[in-house]
Amino acid sequence: MRVLKIIPERCTGCMRCELACSYEQTGTFQPSKAVIRVSSFEGHTSYAPYTCPQCAEAWCLTACPVEAIGISPAGAKEVMDDICVGCKLCTIACPYGTVFYDPDSHKAFKCDLCGGKPACATVCPTQAILYVEAGTEDWLGSFAAERALPGALAGVR
Amino acid sequence: MAAKRHVIVGGGTAGWNAITAIREADKGASEITLVADEAPYARMVLPYYLGRQIGETHVLTAGPQRLAALKVTTRLGRRAARVDAAGGKLILDNGDEVPYDDLLIATGSSAVRPPVPGADGAGVHSFWTLPQARAVSGGIQPGARVAMIGAGFIAFTILNALVARGARLTVLEIAPRILPRMVDDAAARIVQAWLEERGVAVRPGVQVTAIEDAGGAKRVRLKAGAPVEADLVIMATGIRPNLEWLKGSGVEVKAGIVVDARMRSSVPNIYAAGDVAEGPDRVTGAKAVHAIEPTAVQHGRVAGANMAGREVAYPGSLLMNIVDVLDLEIASFGAWDDAKAEAFEDLLPGRPSYRKLLFRGGRLVGAILLGRTREIWATNDVGMLKGLVYTGKDLSAWKARLKARPQDIRLAYLATGTAKELLPQTLLGGPSVPERDVTVNA
Ligand SMILES: Cc1cc2nc3c(=O)[nH]c(=O)nc-3n(C[C@H](O)[C@H](O)[C@H](O)COP(=O)(O)OP(=O)(O)OC[C@H]3O[C@@H](n4cnc5c(N)ncnc54)[C@H](O)[C@@H]3O)c2cc1C
Ligand code: SF4
Repeated sequence: MRVLKIIPERCTGCMRCELACSYEQTGTFQPSKAVIRVSSFEGHTSYAPYTCPQCAEAWCLTACPVEAIGISPAGAKEVMDDICVGCKLCTIACPYGTVFYDPDSHKAFKCDLCGGKPACATVCPTQAILYVEAGTEDWLGSFAAERALPGALAGVR
Repeated sequence: MAAKRHVIVGGGTAGWNAITAIREADKGASEITLVADEAPYARMVLPYYLGRQIGETHVLTAGPQRLAALKVTTRLGRRAARVDAAGGKLILDNGDEVPYDDLLIATGSSAVRPPVPGADGAGVHSFWTLPQARAVSGGIQPGARVAMIGAGFIAFTILNALVARGARLTVLEIAPRILPRMVDDAAARIVQAWLEERGVAVRPGVQVTAIEDAGGAKRVRLKAGAPVEADLVIMATGIRPNLEWLKGSGVEVKAGIVVDARMRSSVPNIYAAGDVAEGPDRVTGAKAVHAIEPTAVQHGRVAGANMAGREVAYPGSLLMNIVDVLDLEIASFGAWDDAKAEAFEDLLPGRPSYRKLLFRGGRLVGAILLGRTREIWATNDVGMLKGLVYTGKDLSAWKARLKARPQDIRLAYLATGTAKELLPQTLLGGPSVPERDVTVNA
């Protein structure tokens, strides 16, 4: 399946992915409702976006008591708003921190790959986010390990 | 060879997940009989029924058609009364015998009430089953005075619904603080203040001595202090696993039915799952009863896969709860009350924000998270905390920093490769099949 492949070295921290994502997901520009979220490293000298890895055996899907999470034609694990009751079991089941709760709609929300045309990948000016045929991976781990200084307290969001 | 006969007792979360896991694996090759005194439903969504966000049918997980489509024979409305383990049969409350090759016990829990006079009287309700939820729902009018006895997690799951229905609430708790088994003192104080500011009366440290009729309403008498008058009383005073019927069966029972990593009891062809099972705890490695939905789901799936002939070992369950009350988010994970752990706390004065990280050596063994709902979900912290506790990642290098800033877990999560460790980990070893896509061969 096609996944969002993240190449953190290319990210400039312009945050367009967050804006495009929130617009696609909610119809408004609200980065707090984006499901792709940019972290900064080393006192804001480098950045990387992070989103749902679309893991194969999906913790969120297994956890839902009312079967509100399905698999879309694009292969994304997707919350069906009309079934979701907003119990948040999926959000604590997911160990990646990529299932959220919307206090306005009282529903869970997560990356659904925009139905196969992910807005984040489309708008990224540096191709740091690619939508390609690949296995899902921990795209950020080694990048973060090289840049995040465990002892340092400066410049971290 | 004759088809294997699986018998499942209890059609709640664990039982239903076992059924779908069996059918995922065997596509209908075995016989499944479900014995349950109620129709299969998810009791944990009853709060949304009470809040009128969903109708009654939304709580049902599998109706007759779906069960038939999965080739499940049902004995609904019947209770299992006894197990004859030597003879390989289950005896029902009407005397019927149901023979099995393997048996799953998934009978869940029942609500219990303290032995105070009047606790069984009219107008006093539990909130654990669908009929009980109907009774509570039917008894609430806007402006009704509701006395909630017990301020544990289950009580909290229905507070929003009660407020939304216009109830005027008084919460009474015998322990010195609210949510005594979900959060610590500091968090409980914030939650209490939050509720009080929003018009909910909260009284921890009070003991109910009697519940009396008071001219069409109820009067809840306390050991000390003025009694509480209410139109409706809800008793959220704890639950007990449904195990009495196993006496004499030879199945080993401690706090729950003791099971191994394949969810087998001391009798090899008898499995147990969910609230009744005492299974491996992911953090401590010991066995424990975790009467929560996620554990019931996982137990049920692992039991079902093993019953279907697969060899699946369960990595253990993580104690975890999340609930919001009036837009305050409260969550705890793992050993949040481990008195021997090193605890890093961050309490923002004047703000409803609290974080606690509990370490054993370099390992995060538990966490408490509390904050405004809107602020919490602008972060990835809920799931990342779960991931860190679940994997038990070595965070030694990060401890000093996490001590200084317990709110700041994202970089530690990313830089320690938590996602890399998690991605190959699965419960049953294959990609998800949504339950509605599970089918059987004709
Ligand atoms: C209001 C409410 C809110 C909750 N919210 C949450 C939450 O937010 N998060 C969370 O983790 N958990 C929550 N829970 C708890 C969660 O619902 C349970 O942990 C879960 O349902 C346990 O699943 P189970 O399969 O073990 O038992 P159950 O789902 O209780 O199913 C057991 C079934 O067995 C049947 N049975 C019992 N004895 C017999 C017998 N002798 N013969 C035949 N059938 C029998 C019962 O009638 C029942 O249908 C909540 C519970 C309630 C009531
Ligand atoms: S919040 Fe919605 S999608 Fe998530 S587990 Fe609950 S009902 Fe399912």
